[in-house]
Amino acid sequence: MTVPTDQHKELKKDVTFRIFRFNPQVDSKPYFDDYTIPVERGITVLRSLNYIKEHIDASISFRAFCQAGICGSCGMRINSLSQLACTTQVWDVLSKSKEHGVIKVEPLRNLPLIKDLIVDMDPLVGKMKHYSNWVDSTMPEASMGKKEFLISEQEFLRYDKATDCILCASCVSECSILRVNKEYVSPAVLLKSFRMNVDSRDAIHEQRLAELVKDHGVWDCTHCYRCQETCVKSIPIMDAIHGIREDAIESRGMKDTSGSKHAEAFMSDIEKKGKLVEATLPIRTNGVLWTLQNLLPMAVKMIIKRRTPPPPPLVKSAKGIKIFREMFREMTEHVKQDHKSHKK
Amino acid sequence: MKRYAYYLSCINESMTKEVDRSIELWQKELGVEFVKLHEGTCCGGSNLDYVSPKHFALVNARNIALAEKMGLDLIVSCNTCLMTIRTAKKKLDESPELKKEVNEILKKEGLEYRGTSDVRHLLWVLVDDVGLDTIRQKVKVPLKNYRIAPFYGCHILRPSTVLGHDNPVDPSSLDQLIEALGGQTIPYKHKNRCCGFHTLLVAEQESLNVAAEALQEAIEAKADFIVTPCPLCHTSLDGYQAKALKNAGIESSIPVFHISEMVGLALGYSAKQLGIKRHIVG
Repeated sequence: MTVPTDQHKELKKDVTFRIFRFNPQVDSKPYFDDYTIPVERGITVLRSLNYIKEHIDASISFRAFCQAGICGSCGMRINSLSQLACTTQVWDVLSKSKEHGVIKVEPLRNLPLIKDLIVDMDPLVGKMKHYSNWVDSTMPEASMGKKEFLISEQEFLRYDKATDCILCASCVSECSILRVNKEYVSPAVLLKSFRMNVDSRDAIHEQRLAELVKDHGVWDCTHCYRCQETCVKSIPIMDAIHGIREDAIESRGMKDTSGSKHAEAFMSDIEKKGKLVEATLPIRTNGVLWTLQNLLPMAVKMIIKRRTPPPPPLVKSAKGIKIFREMFREMTEHVKQDHKSHKK
Repeated sequence: MKRYAYYLSCINESMTKEVDRSIELWQKELGVEFVKLHEGTCCGGSNLDYVSPKHFALVNARNIALAEKMGLDLIVSCNTCLMTIRTAKKKLDESPELKKEVNEILKKEGLEYRGTSDVRHLLWVLVDDVGLDTIRQKVKVPLKNYRIAPFYGCHILRPSTVLGHDNPVDPSSLDQLIEALGGQTIPYKHKNRCCGFHTLLVAEQESLNVAAEALQEAIEAKADFIVTPCPLCHTSLDGYQAKALKNAGIESSIPVFHISEMVGLALGYSAKQLGIKRHIVG
């Protein structure tokens, strides 16, 4: 028997799909079923699932519709990575399989399971509603349908990428914070909120932003970039999250929430010393009481291990700080000018 | 002796001093010299970029320009500093207008950002420049009795459009380093997951739970220790470990090492010399 050196050269082979099964009405716990089928090169995971359902086991449940990467229905975890079954080639995932010839298919994470590969999208829809993720038009109702509501190309480019989202929930499935707290807003919701908040036709920017800065909102994102990395449309989701934060700081000030206070500390420390003053960061973010209640036991351990960050007077400024500060302030003037011309 | 400009991360100058201390011990032995960039400033820690994108560009153009002036690549030993400075570099390289604006200001200090120096992680230097074969030859005390959980952290992997060294889904460089030092890597699902550091002061419970999951997997897999290339991940997994595990109802603990310490151990330095005794978890 000859072993092919490049499996991409093979045109057809037997592939095992190890599919997550769980029917809460019948099963006491989830399990996996293996289905081995002949697959030709060029076939997607979705077509393979359709084949299994049609020819081997009609009881498998999954959601799919357009089969062309447009509707976002067939999001699932294929070999542990959240993606669309309809745009994922069997040959591509097979080359990265941990177990030779086996592709593991599981439902998306961080959403309630309905059956097999189907998750309940209602919590996501509910969050979209909670954060008012639609354009609440500034156009008087009487004028609607009578005239166009134009926006500039420059404005559209700011949220062009965000409009590519097809709500497949792959980013939701990969989110580090949702994994530990299902109340968290979710990357897809933040992306949509960003898209609505930069739209000049929208009338509820302030109201939406006020909701976004609350607990479980935009400041709870931990910058892990898993959402962006997994996005099936390659949308820079973190840019949108940072965009909301930038907007929140500009519209609501830097003393608004612990998140904005934390961010402000970086800006002011860099200007003053060129270095972060870590010792006072918890106090500046959350106040003295929170710091004492939450960090005192750890602070004691750190003192014993001589691990505490130095107090502010002992944080040495970066070498050449004087000229650095001048340059930093010159850039502050540039930013002020930008804001003036932006407002015009 | 290959020379590099070495970026001083704020955390390594305050809480995790053992990182730079351990690198100093072995750098010459591995044929590399890291020249400390005392003029460098804080990168903005993944926060300045949205507080003020233009200050973010200026500060990091300057950090890179300082290395360019020396004709050296800039080496970073903190994942977030790495991602942040590389993000700024990408923005500057893609926008001639931003580069021009920043350079107008940098003139004051006689600096210019040209885009000629690369920005790389210490781990990449060890694996790609020093090379695994050289490392294998230099090992004096192989870590052969240790089962090691490799925790890469986020900002050495993602966004891959900015980092691009390892496959973010299945990274391998840290595994390779462990094996070159004679250690045994364990299968570790959390290897490319998050430590929760960036929200420790803003969403503490969530962050602690994120950290606890990573610790729990390593404990259950009976790893002897976790190793990470990032001092922020180290702070979350070591400094906050007791709190995270208590929170999750887990009665156990696991040591967490920096890559610089792990290299030092294999080269025969003692835990005391490497500063390992400064860790919160012994």
